[in-house]
Amino acid sequence: MSPSRWTLRHHRLQAILAVASIGTAVALPVVLLSVGGGVSQHELSQLESSGYQLSVSAAGVHGISGAHALVSQIESLPNVAAASPVLSVPVDVFLPTGAVTPALAEGVIPGAFLATQGPTTAGLFPHPLPLGDPSDLAHFANGTYAGPAALDVLVASPFALDFGLGVGSTLMLGATTNRSAATPFTLTGEFGVPASTLGPAAVFAIVLPLSDLQQMTGFARAGGADGTLLDQADTVEVALVGPAATDVAAITAVQGEVQRLAPFYGVSALTDQANELRASIGVLNGFYLALSSVSLTIGLLFLGLVLVRRVEADRRTIGIRRALGLPAAQIALGLARDGLVLAAAGGVAGVAGGIAVVVGLARLGSGTAATAAGLAIFDPVTLGLLYAGVLFLSLGASAVAARAALRLSIPEALR
Amino acid sequence: MSPVPEVALREVSRSFFVGRPEEVRALRGVSLRLPPGDIVSVEGPSGCGKTTLLNLLGLLDVPTQGEVLWDDRSVAARSERERARLRLTGVGFIFQRFYLLPTMTARENVELPMRALGRPAAERRARADHLLDEVGLSHRRDAFPHELSGGEEQRVAVARALANAPGLLLADEPTGELDRANTDQILDLLLRVRAESGATLLLVTHNPRVAARASRHLTMEDGRIVGDGPGA
Repeated sequence: MSPSRWTLRHHRLQAILAVASIGTAVALPVVLLSVGGGVSQHELSQLESSGYQLSVSAAGVHGISGAHALVSQIESLPNVAAASPVLSVPVDVFLPTGAVTPALAEGVIPGAFLATQGPTTAGLFPHPLPLGDPSDLAHFANGTYAGPAALDVLVASPFALDFGLGVGSTLMLGATTNRSAATPFTLTGEFGVPASTLGPAAVFAIVLPLSDLQQMTGFARAGGADGTLLDQADTVEVALVGPAATDVAAITAVQGEVQRLAPFYGVSALTDQANELRASIGVLNGFYLALSSVSLTIGLLFLGLVLVRRVEADRRTIGIRRALGLPAAQIALGLARDGLVLAAAGGVAGVAGGIAVVVGLARLGSGTAATAAGLAIFDPVTLGLLYAGVLFLSLGASAVAARAALRLSIPEALR
Repeated sequence: MSPVPEVALREVSRSFFVGRPEEVRALRGVSLRLPPGDIVSVEGPSGCGKTTLLNLLGLLDVPTQGEVLWDDRSVAARSERERARLRLTGVGFIFQRFYLLPTMTARENVELPMRALGRPAAERRARADHLLDEVGLSHRRDAFPHELSGGEEQRVAVARALANAPGLLLADEPTGELDRANTDQILDLLLRVRAESGATLLLVTHNPRVAARASRHLTMEDGRIVGDGPGA
């Protein structure tokens, strides 16, 4: 039996405590890095798989005015495939059963909306969108809103399931809780909502023609039916054609053109947003590691304490070895081996424990925590580096113990 | 076989303060020269400094004052690493309390100094078995120290001290736990090794039978050598 194995076995409680402390210390960064990294990566992939490359948005609470006209101008620019305005307004839905529920209404131009969806989200919607006029211009009628309204609406599948709705159902939508002021819409279809893709809030989303929503919620004109034309949207998403969509120079050129058309609004490229997101992921990972370093430090301090305690307990054995003339390196190596064995076991326990916590949270948890845990990524390189770092740092703890062992006075140790 | 050193103490004092408010002077200005091949017995009352003398000669400790010389070179001039190497190759210790490693068998204890020197496993195993046979313990080589009697432990300690064929053998009551027959056997072994190798042998003993076989006899008292003459 090797002395190291014997030592570990005969200091079982200390060994178990050391492994547990390192395991706990390692589990924290495993959870933070895997969940944090997973959520960030999900956001990034959502961004990168979007069907549009540019986003026009207004600063503050004011929306973009003249959305239909702006879309028409943007679509006439070279390399632009489609421009899709989106207006998001909370509304009340009065159900056929008499119940009322809040929902987030998304007003879109049906044809443009589908043209700016990426492959992930586009697959969730019926093609073409069954929301009446695909261009939304018939009802908009050059800003008069005098044309025939579609009054069609799409709801999320879970929403339809929960409330027993089907195609043909009539939903009363209103900007206020006053049912008599609500407008009747016909349910013409459903769209899919995987929580991991759109989040839990999307379950309560409904989609309807932009002009219908503008008129219903007062974003069509200021001060009533005869007021100034607003034609408001929150954002306009711009999709570029074919190769231009992946050409940074082309994206930048179109970004400049759009900015010229809309000088008072912000025009951002998704590539910029992706870079900003990547930078913030880096900052977040640094923060996670800084936070984790506290727990790792505590774990490794405990390991150092256990090893120093072991030197104290084994001082006579160490004294005998030194009295016999065994090289200091051999004594230090023995302690380093003990430290490595404990750190390796603690690291494995920590990685396994961290993964178990995340998987358990994803399966058994609820709400945002479970959703975030479901997105976790267990990157072998990150986990491997973390593990290697723990092993490396354990050498520091061993060095402290080795120093204590080699500073023992031999006659004192043998006394 | 390691070269046999000439070891000397020059006006060596050793004081301790550990756990005591006042200075305890274990050795007081001791001078001593051990020519190669000497067989020296040391006796004196408990606490007179015999073990401290052995520790200093065996490079386990350093003096508070004075010099320990190995082949005319001060030990203080050597690094701890060098001193450890000298202990490993040049000194064989037989401690009063044996100090066998409890986690190792008798054979592994004897092999330990050879293992530290990097000698091949087969060679060190053969030598350990030979030495255990010499001390009459070939049948107990796989026993752990807690399975051995005091006398058996002492004999393993003797075998371990001889493992690297040291030039200086230091023994603190090497036969204290042995009966008359085993005392004679161990003494015969130590003297035979000395005769074959020319090693210096220094024994701390209260046993007149052991002292009688030394060529030189030292008497210590209160940290000083008060008698230095030929053996009985």
